[in-house]
Amino acid sequence: MKNMNAEVASSLYTFSSNAEPGSIDSVSGSENSYTSSVSVKSTPEIEKKYVHNVYDAIAPHFSSTRFAKWPKVASFLSSLPAGSLILDAGCGNGKYLGFNRDCFFIGCDISPPLIKICADRGHEVLVADAVNLPYRTDFGDAAMSIAVLHHLSTENRRRKAIEELVRVVKRGGFVLITVWAVEQEDKSLISKWTPLAERYVEEWIGPGSPRARSPSSITLESIPECELSGSGEQLEVSQEHSTEDIQETPDLTNQNQNVLDVEDDKNMNNKQEYFVPWHLPYHRAEISGASAHALATGLATKDDKKGAVVYNRYYHVFREGELERLISGINNAKVVERFYDKSNWCIILEKTL
Amino acid sequence: MRLLTHNMLSSNIKGVTNGFPLRIEAEKVVEKTVEMNADFLKKMFEKIQWKAFIDASRAMGYTELPEEVDPTTLESDEFLSKFHHALLELHLEEGALVCPETGRRFPVNKGIPNMLLHEDEV
Repeated sequence: MKNMNAEVASSLYTFSSNAEPGSIDSVSGSENSYTSSVSVKSTPEIEKKYVHNVYDAIAPHFSSTRFAKWPKVASFLSSLPAGSLILDAGCGNGKYLGFNRDCFFIGCDISPPLIKICADRGHEVLVADAVNLPYRTDFGDAAMSIAVLHHLSTENRRRKAIEELVRVVKRGGFVLITVWAVEQEDKSLISKWTPLAERYVEEWIGPGSPRARSPSSITLESIPECELSGSGEQLEVSQEHSTEDIQETPDLTNQNQNVLDVEDDKNMNNKQEYFVPWHLPYHRAEISGASAHALATGLATKDDKKGAVVYNRYYHVFREGELERLISGINNAKVVERFYDKSNWCIILEKTL
Repeated sequence: MRLLTHNMLSSNIKGVTNGFPLRIEAEKVVEKTVEMNADFLKKMFEKIQWKAFIDASRAMGYTELPEEVDPTTLESDEFLSKFHHALLELHLEEGALVCPETGRRFPVNKGIPNMLLHEDEV
């Protein structure tokens, strides 16, 4: 049951060579399109920079803050029969590995430094990608994905990761998924997050781009945020050959400013895309060594007041019902429980076939 | 990496029809004793693909397992001990796991396999 989805995505916009960032020079039909085939399993640049690199740099510090076991996850794990083989995809620092002493856990994560922390604690782990699990089909008794899917930047990748979790468990096996919710209990927390639109402007005009960074470069206030965020992504995307989200744009002949106004659950103008800061104290940054490079390339900044290097982690936070919607297309799993717990949407699936 | 894990791992490189089992290249194998749980072993026995398991254990330097097994084999305590040893107590610390179709080597360092694919393999 190996799906090798080659996502054929066609960009329906052409860019002239001196196109200004944040604007679209021409909108044309598919006959002029820039076409690329990109696998859903290929990691987009935004995830490399703002998920993988960040966790690699902050791993020990991150791990030191991740110790509390959530009661709902704990009860799910405790409810599994003795002798179960449990697969934790995106296990991070291995917080839940070994939690149920009667079960055997195998963890995987995309971050080698985090996996090393798990291995040092004696856990059975490997480095792997949640979107493409290197596991045989139907092997596990249960699987879990705790605070992972919100780091995947496209709907297709998020769905693919869920399909993988279902694939690797046996028929009748359970899958627990938790993700950060749009609907945060502590609303003041969101004010500390940077919505993707603004940040992408800086990213495009930042170091290594055709234009030098300067305040006057940011002249985009007249462009509606939805288009700005979308075009920011497109330009980034045209470099990275991943245009899945553009493919989903419904009205292709519409040449007005709202061409990127796609259905709510699929685009960045719906306040679900954020950069969430992580403050890595200077003394920890020195140990990791990765921060010098991150600062030089603009991926991290310094906050002298807090004495920390500030990284940004990319999140697509989930709306109520969004997990269910993703799962509705998966025909061999059914939802057995759904709940909201401490600003996370959670779901338990059972594999039916 | 234990052999229980190995029996679940499969090469997921684009174009590969059957990436299981991965061939083990063992450079360093370590033994770590762990308590035996017969019920657990019996459950795992049902999942394990035996031919792949016995080949893997031999690659790790362990030759005590029988070629042929059936459900009655589990009744033997001696077998259970050997099965336990091979399944959970042998660790591949350094070496590689090799894709059966492409020959691509997935490295194992400090007991950790790295199964990440390159851009062109996805």
